Amino acid sequence: MHDVHVSYEDLLARQLQDAEENFRVLREQGVLAISVMGAIGSGKTSVIERMIERLAADGRTVGTIAGDSAGDDDHRRFTAVGATSVNLNTQDDCHLDAHRVRHAMEKLPLAELSVLFIENVGNLICPADFPLGTAAEMVVISVTEGDDMVRKHPKIFAQTDLVVINKVDLATAVGVDTKVILADYARVNPHGTAVLADARRGVGIDELLAALGIACTSTPW
Amino acid sequence: MERLDNTPGRIVRVLLCKGELRVLSDHALQNAYEVVTRDTPLQDSSLDIEPIAVTVRCNACGFQGSPELLSDPSFHFAIPILSCPRCGAEVDLLTGRELYIGRLTVEPPPDGPVSAEAEP
Repeated sequence: MHDVHVSYEDLLARQLQDAEENFRVLREQGVLAISVMGAIGSGKTSVIERMIERLAADGRTVGTIAGDSAGDDDHRRFTAVGATSVNLNTQDDCHLDAHRVRHAMEKLPLAELSVLFIENVGNLICPADFPLGTAAEMVVISVTEGDDMVRKHPKIFAQTDLVVINKVDLATAVGVDTKVILADYARVNPHGTAVLADARRGVGIDELLAALGIACTSTPW
Repeated sequence: MERLDNTPGRIVRVLLCKGELRVLSDHALQNAYEVVTRDTPLQDSSLDIEPIAVTVRCNACGFQGSPELLSDPSFHFAIPILSCPRCGAEVDLLTGRELYIGRLTVEPPPDGPVSAEAEP
């Protein structure tokens, strides 16, 4: 019996190469790309809609890639608020990957865009493992999912430095204390920033844009 | 490196090295391995999964090594904290996201010599 060393090439190296290529292309075109992850129903689309409105009022051109298993509901919502959007159905995949995103980027007028939001499929597990090549990543959770979301999905929160806690207006109604979520997040990610939001009413959107390093001057609402 | 199809003998063990931050279930990998190797020369070989611990490099003080682990019982698993254990600054990840085949263990053919190229 003996051991044979085969190869140390990472089996997922291609993913990383694709993500690096996306990062390079986006930087070359001057597009600030933001990956938005989060559970189903957390309010990812609403948070992005509000940011699009805010950025549009500031005269910026926003693009979106709407990732979903099926359908084009989010894509139509983004288009309705003025984004240049591409729909990306993954069918049987529970996450986006850099290769799919590359092809979606090819359909966008990147040179005209200032900001690109890439909304992942609703999921708090797999997306953590698939870098897309964006400059920033954020996770949206909502109080209606319970105050234990961070404890249930620590890997994604430990690796994501920006978290939006959405639907804070419903916290009392569902008996959730946002302080519990904030404390859990601070424990798994001491360098992370958490923003409390009520996206339907535009609450917290300015703080979120500031956390993403985007300064807006005008006020759309 | 030795090509798989030149390997003398029967492969009895595949060692898969997996970073602890990889979101990939050992249970699913073991099940898949059993299914995909059925009726192939790898049938009855074992898949061993070796975790690769997270290590970090501090951007501020230069620390290199293991981060602190959050092992609060309410989390049930130890979670590496991506922060410098010495000075608290932000860190770069050095290891913990790998996925590669580290080694094959080969049983030599009964009548043939062990390949001189293979490492013991």
